[in-house]
Amino acid sequence: MSADQKIRTVLYYVSVSVFLVGLPFILAFSLSYKFDRRSFKFTKTGIISVRSQPPGAGVTIDGERLADKTPLSVTELLPGTHSVTLELEGYYPYARDVEVEGARVSRLEKVILFPLRPDIQQVNKERISLFWTDDARASVYYVNQDENLVYRSDLEGNRFEQLCSFTPIAPLPRKWEISPDRTRLAYFNQRQVGIVELPQGKRKPVFPNTVILNFPSDTINDMFWYADSYHIILICRKRIVICEAREGAGPVTLVNLAKRNSAGFYDPRSDSLYFMDSQEAPDGNTYDNLYRLEMRNRVYPFTLPDFITLKGLEQRMNLLDWRLEEKKDGKKP
Amino acid sequence: MRILEIAPGALSWSIIAFFVVLAIWKPVYCAVLIIVFDFYWIIRTIYLTTLLLLANRQLAKQRRRPWFRACQKIPAWEQIYQLVIFPVYKEGPDILRPSLEALRHTHYARDRMIVVLAFEERHGPAREYGQILAREYEKTFGDLLVMFHPDRLPGEKRLKGANATWAAKRSKEYFQSRGVPLERVIVSCFDADTCVDREYFGCLAYHFLTVPQPHQASYQPVPVYNNNIWYAPAFARIIETSASFCQMIESMRIEKFVTFSSHSMSFRTLVDIDYWPVDMISDDSVVYWKAFLHFNGAYRVVPLYTTVSMDAAYSSSFFKTLWVQYKQKRRWAWGVENFAFLVSRLLKNRHIPAAVKMRRSFQLLESHVTWATWAIIIGVIGSLPMLLGGRFFAQSAIGYNLPRITGLLFDFTLYASLVWIVLSWTILPPRPKDVPWSRNLVMAAEWLIVPAVIVLLGSTPALDAQTRLMFGRYMEFSATEKTRKVV
Repeated sequence: MSADQKIRTVLYYVSVSVFLVGLPFILAFSLSYKFDRRSFKFTKTGIISVRSQPPGAGVTIDGERLADKTPLSVTELLPGTHSVTLELEGYYPYARDVEVEGARVSRLEKVILFPLRPDIQQVNKERISLFWTDDARASVYYVNQDENLVYRSDLEGNRFEQLCSFTPIAPLPRKWEISPDRTRLAYFNQRQVGIVELPQGKRKPVFPNTVILNFPSDTINDMFWYADSYHIILICRKRIVICEAREGAGPVTLVNLAKRNSAGFYDPRSDSLYFMDSQEAPDGNTYDNLYRLEMRNRVYPFTLPDFITLKGLEQRMNLLDWRLEEKKDGKKP
Repeated sequence: MRILEIAPGALSWSIIAFFVVLAIWKPVYCAVLIIVFDFYWIIRTIYLTTLLLLANRQLAKQRRRPWFRACQKIPAWEQIYQLVIFPVYKEGPDILRPSLEALRHTHYARDRMIVVLAFEERHGPAREYGQILAREYEKTFGDLLVMFHPDRLPGEKRLKGANATWAAKRSKEYFQSRGVPLERVIVSCFDADTCVDREYFGCLAYHFLTVPQPHQASYQPVPVYNNNIWYAPAFARIIETSASFCQMIESMRIEKFVTFSSHSMSFRTLVDIDYWPVDMISDDSVVYWKAFLHFNGAYRVVPLYTTVSMDAAYSSSFFKTLWVQYKQKRRWAWGVENFAFLVSRLLKNRHIPAAVKMRRSFQLLESHVTWATWAIIIGVIGSLPMLLGGRFFAQSAIGYNLPRITGLLFDFTLYASLVWIVLSWTILPPRPKDVPWSRNLVMAAEWLIVPAVIVLLGSTPALDAQTRLMFGRYMEFSATEKTRKVV
């Protein structure tokens, strides 16, 4: 027999031996059995799988600190309750009792460690009274109601700039809202609406001053910009009105509300107005319902300034079937 | 006979089906079996990689040895004739010329070499090819015989073995007409693209003259696929290098060693066993079993630690290469037909001990069933308990540990591949000048795709071949496409 064949024979028997001896231990490990050297028996144990965010936390089980950091698996745990503590410098510790069953895995994998001293930064660079963000969460708008100024920055507070000044109204505005095309800012209290033209690059505002619209006969509860950024929709106590955002404009009533102080909102994507109102049912009771008013009209006043008129809009809001008639005439709706 | 043909495929499919059913009904049991299999495979990989290292050490040591000089010290060497048969199908001078040039440059007495170019008559340009090569090499060797195998002789199929057998029969007449005893002739049957090492025939003759009972042995060199290896796509290189490695490993397991591809043997023995099979694709291994049965088990394969280089199978595009490789591996896996051939004859043989019969039959069956199933078990079935076992299994300790142990196996395969990378470099030919240096790095990095390649081209072609045999859809021989960028 050559030397290589002798090596091979030895290797073969060593491999078979390693397989036969190692297999029980591999299977015992896989099935989570622990070999007790004293009793020379296998005991059924369980596993705790620990993961944390951020990883790298030290783990203490039943008062014994483990050498490994998260993520880790703690094997060979006897069935029963085990106290698990996760510690990471600069973070609040996390502690929990975990129930371990034999040949089962208890998962502690959604642990979030919160920092002891959160990293708080001041975003605004000037004195402010209130703030809001635009829908795209791209910009933060700030109002200084003492000095009647509006500021803007990004979410990190960078590019902080004074946007415009505004005419104050009393009592203080309840809500501030930027028009969809980001050219105007509207604010309101119970009786008044203020509208400020925002500067666009080097372009000067069309309205040099704040436009104040007064609504002495009703109480304004909410306000939305219409999709054209030229009209505003006001949810008032007794009605919902739409109004041009210009000096001296008069409101047009879209809905007279049976229910007082009703809630509503305008969805520019579907060009629909949703509002709550009550209605008497055939059984004689009055029920609250949510209604949807399809405005069915997208207008772009900067390109088609005269297309929409309040009268026409009012007709449409009253759901007159004027479109079909115009189509029959061959005219563009 | 049909039962024996069905057995390997049925066994392979049963194993796969068993695992799948078990993964659904008893995922814990399935996981236990997979872990046992994974552990077995890790041990087996260590064992086989060590054998590969030993074989590689032998190859490094012996391929540098001046075998012809050693051979010349043995007085009988001058009486030995080397008969080299190239069964040719469609290969032309561009493929055959490098093979003949390799013979021309071999360190051996060329006047003692009889070269046979055995063309298929049915191939139109064969006569033209024969004339060209006969003109070029007529005075290079002791003799150059150009033969044309008639098509569809009785009992034959259109196979390489039929062509080689026909050429061997004509060669027998040639030697008998010159009064050369067949015992003094060593026959080598080479694929058309086989380029021998310079010391191949010296090494062969030395072993033939020195081993006991030289007529009861085949002589198997290490097949490498170096002719175009630098130009072949990455996965083709890996497959071909792995095939070389497999042969090197087999050369260390002498009691299981069977002839493969280009090999040599006593011409007397070849005649006595009635040549290669004329109706079986795997003629290279069947000829061994024929000799094994003829000598009642007293037949062996002697490893020659010298190389014969062939073409790596590849084509003009990635998918064509994939298909060429797949077909070639399926053809190799068609060697499963040997099982029915061997067992049916062993049952009739009363001289071979029952233990030997059982062992050799089992080894043959086990090797083919393992080939068809192991990559599928590791690569596909290994993850089935996790997918099909449900929430209860996922919460169990074994469900938690199974992917870790399977991952360990893959990690281990990657570590082992570092050894394979180093070894693959030792059998690589020098880098051609038109190949950039960076290809060295690519060749090392390509071993990382081993897990993907073994699933794709490891078990699937073998399972395909076994299934075809199982259903009696017998394969036709299809010559592997030869593509060379540089000849």
